[in-house]
Amino acid sequence: MPNPIVDVRDLCVNIKLDEGLLTPVRGVSFQIYPGQTLGLVGESGCGKSLTSKAILAINEKKCHTTGQILFENKDGQVVDINRLDPKGREIRDIRGKQISMIFQEPMVAFSPMYTIGNQINECTRLHITRDKKESRRITLEMMKKVGIANAEKRYDQYPHEFSGGMLQRALIAMALVCKPRLLIADEPTTALDVTIQAQILELMQELQKELNMAILFITHDLGTVAKMCDNVSVMYLGRIVESGTARQIYKNPSHPYTRGLMNSVHKIGTLKQEKLFSIEGTVPLALNLKPGCGFCDRCDQRVAGVCDVAEPSARPVEEGHMAACHALKEATEA
Amino acid sequence: MAQSATVRSGAPRRRMNPMLSYILRRLVLFIPTVLIMSLLIFFIIQLPPGDYLTSYVAGLKAEGVMVDASVIARLEEQFGLDKPWYVQYLSWMWNIFTKFDFGYSFDLGKSVWPIIADKLPMTLFVSLIIMLFQYLVSIPLGIYSAVKQYSVGDYALTALGFLGMAVPNFLFAIILMYLTFIWTGTAWIGLFTKEMLQTGIHWNNLGEFLKRLLIPVLVIGTSGLCGTMRSMRAQMLDEQGRQYVLCARAKGVSERTIIWKYCLRAAINPTVSGLSGSLASIFSGSTISAIVMNLEIIGPTLYEALKAQDMYLAGTILLVMGVLIVVGTLLSDILLAWLDPRIRFSERSE
Amino acid sequence: MAQTTAAPRMTRKQRKAQKREESYYLASQWSLMARKLGKHKLARFSLVILGFLYFVALFGNFFAPSDLVSYDGASKDMPPTQVHWFTEDGEFIGPFVYGTSMTRDPETYKKVFTENKDEIYRIRFFTHGVSYKWLGLIDSDLHLFGVEEGGKLFLFGTDSMGRDLFSRIILGSQVSLTIPFAGTFLSFILGLLLGSVSGYFGGWVDNVIQRVIEVLNSLPSLPLWMALSAAIPAGIPPVQMYLLITVILSFIGWTGLARVVRGKFMSLKNEDYVMAARLAGVSDMKIIFKHLVPGFMSYLIVSLTLGIPGMIIGETSMSFLGLGIQSPATSWGVLLKDAQQIQNIANYPWRLIPLVFVVIAVLAFNFLGDGLRDAADPYK
Repeated sequence: MPNPIVDVRDLCVNIKLDEGLLTPVRGVSFQIYPGQTLGLVGESGCGKSLTSKAILAINEKKCHTTGQILFENKDGQVVDINRLDPKGREIRDIRGKQISMIFQEPMVAFSPMYTIGNQINECTRLHITRDKKESRRITLEMMKKVGIANAEKRYDQYPHEFSGGMLQRALIAMALVCKPRLLIADEPTTALDVTIQAQILELMQELQKELNMAILFITHDLGTVAKMCDNVSVMYLGRIVESGTARQIYKNPSHPYTRGLMNSVHKIGTLKQEKLFSIEGTVPLALNLKPGCGFCDRCDQRVAGVCDVAEPSARPVEEGHMAACHALKEATEA
Repeated sequence: MAQSATVRSGAPRRRMNPMLSYILRRLVLFIPTVLIMSLLIFFIIQLPPGDYLTSYVAGLKAEGVMVDASVIARLEEQFGLDKPWYVQYLSWMWNIFTKFDFGYSFDLGKSVWPIIADKLPMTLFVSLIIMLFQYLVSIPLGIYSAVKQYSVGDYALTALGFLGMAVPNFLFAIILMYLTFIWTGTAWIGLFTKEMLQTGIHWNNLGEFLKRLLIPVLVIGTSGLCGTMRSMRAQMLDEQGRQYVLCARAKGVSERTIIWKYCLRAAINPTVSGLSGSLASIFSGSTISAIVMNLEIIGPTLYEALKAQDMYLAGTILLVMGVLIVVGTLLSDILLAWLDPRIRFSERSE
Repeated sequence: MAQTTAAPRMTRKQRKAQKREESYYLASQWSLMARKLGKHKLARFSLVILGFLYFVALFGNFFAPSDLVSYDGASKDMPPTQVHWFTEDGEFIGPFVYGTSMTRDPETYKKVFTENKDEIYRIRFFTHGVSYKWLGLIDSDLHLFGVEEGGKLFLFGTDSMGRDLFSRIILGSQVSLTIPFAGTFLSFILGLLLGSVSGYFGGWVDNVIQRVIEVLNSLPSLPLWMALSAAIPAGIPPVQMYLLITVILSFIGWTGLARVVRGKFMSLKNEDYVMAARLAGVSDMKIIFKHLVPGFMSYLIVSLTLGIPGMIIGETSMSFLGLGIQSPATSWGVLLKDAQQIQNIANYPWRLIPLVFVVIAVLAFNFLGDGLRDAADPYK
C-alpha cells in the first residue's frame, strides 16, 4: 500500500465560548490514500466541516486545533499542516495547489464583485503560471472539462448570472484547475437538485480517475457515499464512531448510530406506508460534555451504568473495520 | 407577470447597455423627486404666520411712517401674497421654468438668484474639500481598524471616532477657534482676510486662505469622518467573515490580497452609496458652523433669510441644496452601479 | 426503562451542565439580548450613566438648588464656587463656602472674585429653599442641598444675569434629555406605520411614500429643521413649543426606519411562516403585529437607540441658533448660546460645561446602541 496523502492523527478543535468550552472535534484520526475516496459521514453539527477546514488550516482564529495533520506534499516530504503558520507562504503553497476544497454553497463561495473567470484564474495565476494568456487557456480548458458550455463567454460573466448547478461546476473547476493531490468536497451537492447532483458526482469521479487524486468526501447522505467512496468514517459528536471500507460498513454496520443512519436512507420498493425511519433527537451541542458515550442519549441499546460512564474506545469488528461502542464489546465477548 | 416571463425566456432580451439603461432609469426618477421636493419646501417656507410684507409694514407703522393701503395692496398683488399658497407655488415654479427667476428677496431687495450664485461656488468648493478630506482620511483608518481589530490602534481610533461623532460640530468650531486664538493670537474668523476680499485670492495669500480653510474642514468634516470610519470598519469586518473570503483563502490567496481584492471591494460599496448622505450632512454641518465661524458660504444667508421670513430666498437655498444632494445621489448610484455588477445587471428599478 | 434509570444518576455537575446547555438553547431572544448586553462593559456603564442622568432630570427641582427664574444681580459672571472641607486652621467642619467679594482689575477692568476667609457658610443637606411643584403635581420646597443664608453657592458658576448654571443644566436636562426620547418615539410610530403600509400594500401607496422618503433624505436635516422651526410663532407657551420641536425633530427621523421596515416586510412577506399564517386565515393586521413586527423588533430597538444622539445634537443645535427652545424655558443648547463668542469662552470658560453633558449623553447613547446591536445578534 502506498503512503497516505494525508494522515490525520488525534485532531481536536476547541472553541472557548462564554458558556464554556465547545469541543466540536475530539480526537479524529484517518488516512486518505492517492486515488481513493474517504467518506466522512454524519449529521450536521458533528464536526465534519471543522475537520475538513483544519486540513487546510482555514478555521477561524478562535478555533484552537491540536493533533497532527501529516500531509505528503508533491516532493514526497511529509509536513504537519497544524504546525505551519496559517498565514505563511508554505501553507499557501499547499492550499489550492495541492489540497483544494469544494464548498457547500456555491452561491456564496464566489465574490459577487468579480467575474467567474477572474476568480478561477486567480488560482491558476497563483500556482501554475504568471503568463496571462497561458493561465487563461488553462482556466478555460478546466471550465470546459467540468461541463461549462460556452466557456469563453461564461469566463467574463459574474456569479449572479450563473445558475446554482453551473456555479457548482465553476467551483469544481476552481478547485481542480491546479490538479490537486487531495480534494476536499464538503457536501458539494446539498444545494443542488437531484439530477444535477448525479451529474456533479459523476464529474468528480471522472476527474478523480484522470488526475489520480484523493478525495475527502463529506456528506450526511449515505446513499451518495455508497456511490462515491472506497472507505467510510462515520462521525458523531466530534468523534469517529465507526470506520471501514464502504462495503464493510454497508454490510455490517456495527455502531448503533451507523445503523440508524442506514435505516433512515429511503429505499425504493420498501413497504408502501412505512414511516421514514429517523434517529430520535438531535446531535447535542458539544459544550461542556459529560462523560460517557456521546450517542448514549439517543441510543436504543444503551446500557445504564456503562454507556453513560465512559467513552467507548474503537474496537475492531473485522479486518480494517473499527467501531466505538460498548455494546459491541459485550457482543464479541459473549 | 406571465407575459413578461415568457418574453424574457422566449426571445433573447433586447440588449441595451445595462449601465446606460440604469442611468436612464435613475434620471427618470430624478424629476418627480425634485418636483415633490420643491412642493414640500414651498409648503414649509410659507408656514410661518404672516409674511415679510405685513411685518415690514408693521415696522414702518411703528416708526410713524404712514403707509397707504392701496400701496400695500399693490405690493401684495405684485408678489402674489394675497393668493393661496399653492397658487403662489405654481407661479414660483412657472417663473423658474420659464424665466429662471427664483423670486425676489424682500430683505435684501434684489433678485434671489444672484445672491445665491454669489455664494454657491465657495459653498461647493468648501463642501468638496471637506468631502475629500473625509474620505481620504476615514477609509484608510477604517480599513486599518478592521484589519488590526482589537489592537491598541483600533481601540484608540474607536474612541476618537465616538468622540468625534458626539461633539456637536458648532461647538467643536468654537473650541478650535478659541485654541487658535490662544496659540496664534488672531482669531481665524471667516475664510478671507480683508486684503483677500479686496485683491482676490492669489499666490501670495493662498497660504493664509488654506490656513483659514483648515478649521472649517476639520470642524465640518470630523463627524462625517468618524461615521464613515466606523461604518467602513464594520463593513470590512463583515466581509472578512464571508464564505467567499474563506474560499479565496482555501485557494492559497494571501491575506493581503484577500483584504484588498475581496474585502475592500465589497466593503467600499456602502460607503459609496453613503456619498450623498454625507453631502447632506456636510450641508447641515456647514450651515451651523458657518454661522458660528462667519464663513462666506450659503449657510448664514439661509439663517438670515429664515429669521426675516424672506421666503423666496430661503426656499431657493433649500431647493438648491436639495437638488445638489439629489444630483449627488444620482452620481453615487451611477458610481455604485459601475462598481457593483449586481446592480448594473439588475432588472429591478429599486 | 433505560431512560428512567439514567436520569437520577446524573451527578449535580452534569445536571448543571445540562441546564446551562438547555438554557443556551431555550432562552428567549430577549433574555439572550439582555445577557449579551450585560457582558458589553461600555454599554452597561452607559446604561448606568444614562439612568443617573434621567434620574436627576426626573427629580430636577430637588437636585437643583435654584430654579430657572431666580437670579442674583450681584453675582453676574461668577466662576464656579469652590467648596471647602477644612477651615484655615485645618479643622474639618464639613462642606462649606467662603463669602466672596468682587473687585475690578484696575488694568483690564475684568471682574475678580476673591474669597473672604472670615465668612463661612456651611452647605446643608435636605434644606428648604425655592418652592416648586414636582411634575406639576406635588408642592415642595425640599432641595438636596443649599447654603446657609447669606452664602453663595454656584457649583458651575453663573451666567451674565447671575443665574446658577448648575441648576440650569439640571433643569435644562429635563428638556434636552426628553425631547430626543419623545421625538424618537414619534418617529418610531411614524416609521413603523408608514414603512409597514408601504411594504405591505405596495403599489402606488408604496411609490408615493418612497418618493417622499427620498425627498426628505435629500434635504439636509439641519436647514430643514431650521426652516420648520422658523414657522413656530414667537411667544407660544413652553409646553407647546416643546411639542412642536419634538414634531419637527421626528419629521426627518422616521424615514430611515420606514425604509428598513418596508424592506423587512417585503422579504418577510414571502417567508414561509407568514404564508402559513395567511393560509390559516389570519387577518392582515394580525399578521403584521403578531408575526412580522416581533420578527425585527430587536433591530428597531437598536436603530432607535442609535437615532437618539442625532436628535440630542439636533435639539442642541437649533436651540443654540435661537430657533429651538426659547427663554424662559431652557435646554443645554440654550445654555450653550452663551458660549457662542470666543471672548465669552476666553473670559468665562465654565460656560462650556453644558457641552460636557451633551457629549456624555450622546456618547452613552452611542455605546448603548452599539452594545444593543451586538446583543441583537445573540448567536453570533
